[in-house]
Amino acid sequence: MASVKLTNVKKIYDKNVVAVHDFNLEIKDKEFVVFVGPSGCGKSTTLRMIAGLEEISEGTVEIDGEVVNDLQPKDRGIAMVFQNYALYPHMSVYDNIAFSLRLKKTPEDVIYDKVTKAAEVLGITEYLMRKPRALSGGQRQRVAIGRAMVRDSKVFLMDEPLSNLDAKLRNQMRAEIILLRQKLDTTFIYVTHDQTEAMTLADRIVIMKDGFIMQVGTPDEVFEMPDNLFVAEFIGAPKMNIIKTELVLENGNYYVTPFGAKIPVDGDKGKALADRKVKPGPVLLGVRPEHINLAKAADHAIPCTLVVDEMMGSELHLHVDTEDGTRLIVRVPTLELDKEERKALTVGNKLHITFGGKAMHLFDPETEKNLLA
Amino acid sequence: MNKTEKRHMGMKALNRVSNGSIYILLILISVIWLIPFVFIVFQSFRVESTQQVGYVIPHQWGLQNYINLWNSDFKRWYLNTFIIALASAVLVTIIQLCMSYTLSRFRFKMRGPLMRFMLILGMFPGMLTMIILYRVLADIGLTQANAVPGLILVGFASSGMGYYVSKGFFDTIPKSLDEAARVDGATRLQVLYKIILPLAKPIVIYTVLTAFMGPWGDFVFARYVAMGTSAGYNVAVGMYSWLTADQIFGMYTTFCAGGVIVALPVTILFMCLQKYYVEGVTGGAVKG
Repeated sequence: MASVKLTNVKKIYDKNVVAVHDFNLEIKDKEFVVFVGPSGCGKSTTLRMIAGLEEISEGTVEIDGEVVNDLQPKDRGIAMVFQNYALYPHMSVYDNIAFSLRLKKTPEDVIYDKVTKAAEVLGITEYLMRKPRALSGGQRQRVAIGRAMVRDSKVFLMDEPLSNLDAKLRNQMRAEIILLRQKLDTTFIYVTHDQTEAMTLADRIVIMKDGFIMQVGTPDEVFEMPDNLFVAEFIGAPKMNIIKTELVLENGNYYVTPFGAKIPVDGDKGKALADRKVKPGPVLLGVRPEHINLAKAADHAIPCTLVVDEMMGSELHLHVDTEDGTRLIVRVPTLELDKEERKALTVGNKLHITFGGKAMHLFDPETEKNLLA
Repeated sequence: MNKTEKRHMGMKALNRVSNGSIYILLILISVIWLIPFVFIVFQSFRVESTQQVGYVIPHQWGLQNYINLWNSDFKRWYLNTFIIALASAVLVTIIQLCMSYTLSRFRFKMRGPLMRFMLILGMFPGMLTMIILYRVLADIGLTQANAVPGLILVGFASSGMGYYVSKGFFDTIPKSLDEAARVDGATRLQVLYKIILPLAKPIVIYTVLTAFMGPWGDFVFARYVAMGTSAGYNVAVGMYSWLTADQIFGMYTTFCAGGVIVALPVTILFMCLQKYYVEGVTGGAVKG
């Protein structure tokens, strides 16, 4: 069990390509932290620096209070699961899991106990004598997790462990990782590019872009109060709608005016704007697809045309064009629609949409920072 | 029988004919290829005369030629050759595989230029170095009767330069296997012999075989370094000395027996190891 602390960690490759800029983060004991971001954002590099597979150009990494910069991976007290499983193909599943224990010269009976116990937890007991090539993707990933489990390490590192699995298996394994975490009760650092994985697994999410940390927070925090436009668009699926508009102040009340409508920024958000004395002017307005409602024609309703209609089962994703050609996505639960309403949602039809002040996110168009964060 | 069935049968017959003719051709080729070997084996058992004759199957069979071999310098030459080939095989394999692993897995300054330099250097024929190498070996006393250590030295000295084939093979083994093993607690050396080498068995075998075969059949260099001293001969040089005008009548069949004995270990080695040439072992390592 251990904490991990990264202080001013930098990764500079040859020819001055900076992969990670000044990374500062303290991960508490037994915390599950997920690094998430698009490919090339430096999340895997950071994880590999913690693992000791990548040299740290500047800064320090501490595990359990000890600076580990110059330690070999095996001396850092970590275990790691790789994206492509990295099972030793010439060894049986049993030998794969036992490999690290044998290197430590653990007695064979202890190895037997540990391997069979891990196999039981992961449900791979019947495959122990098989070679990795005789296993399916999901089983291979379980073996890889088993291999990491028996090491009794202080920190569990996972580098996109589910990205090679198909969608159904991925959902199943995600749930199993949650269970595994409860059983192991250790510190987890998990890298993924999939925001759903990040949201469902993490205690805290670290969202990265181009080697910078964009925001660190709990899944709730990054969803409800994204620090900047990047986080707002990255977290949530389908992604947040961003609308260029004006923030207007009238009689002490704030309004936004998207597509000619005038929508009050009420509730806490309005108050927060007033408290910060935010100046009126151009803003980027963010509204999540699930916070947009279909409406009857009215003053504050925005007229638009349905362009694409994606039936997802329990919900509809409607791609609509406003009169000035801005494309917005609206998410409508199918249960809330009666037959007539569903019929009206055919491509080419006109509809009206509204959204409330509570659901709005406001960003500075220049700095792209959240005006309320 | 309807029309489609008939056509099906016709196709089958055609297939059989074309397959049959291919097999006949292949059998013919292999017979032609085997004739010299069979010829030599027959000659080695011919005891009615020791010179070349105009027929293949001996009139009188016997082991006299092999007994002659045993009583000649052949034992010494054979041992010389075996020591040189074995030592070269071991040393060349170790050096070449370490070199290939290093070039495949480590990134260091001048790696690219070093690899190109060795590649270009390797394009010059080894014969070009013969005179200077002889000079060097003579100066340190590794010629004539001491030709064996001299030839071993020549055999493995530049072996690192033959890295390309095994490096190419190592490159196909995913790096994440190394990383997983290092996280699991293996040192770089343990990664090499516990993970990489078992996966690279075909290439290890290939390296051993080629490293063994080179000195085993060496003639030009061995003759040059031994410089007429029988104690420093290898089999090729020694047996060649039987083919001179004054020896050939008495030694021809003994020469053939020597040829059979020389071919034996290599044949056995190939038969034992050939399955590794075709075996692929990386299946299931990573997603695939």
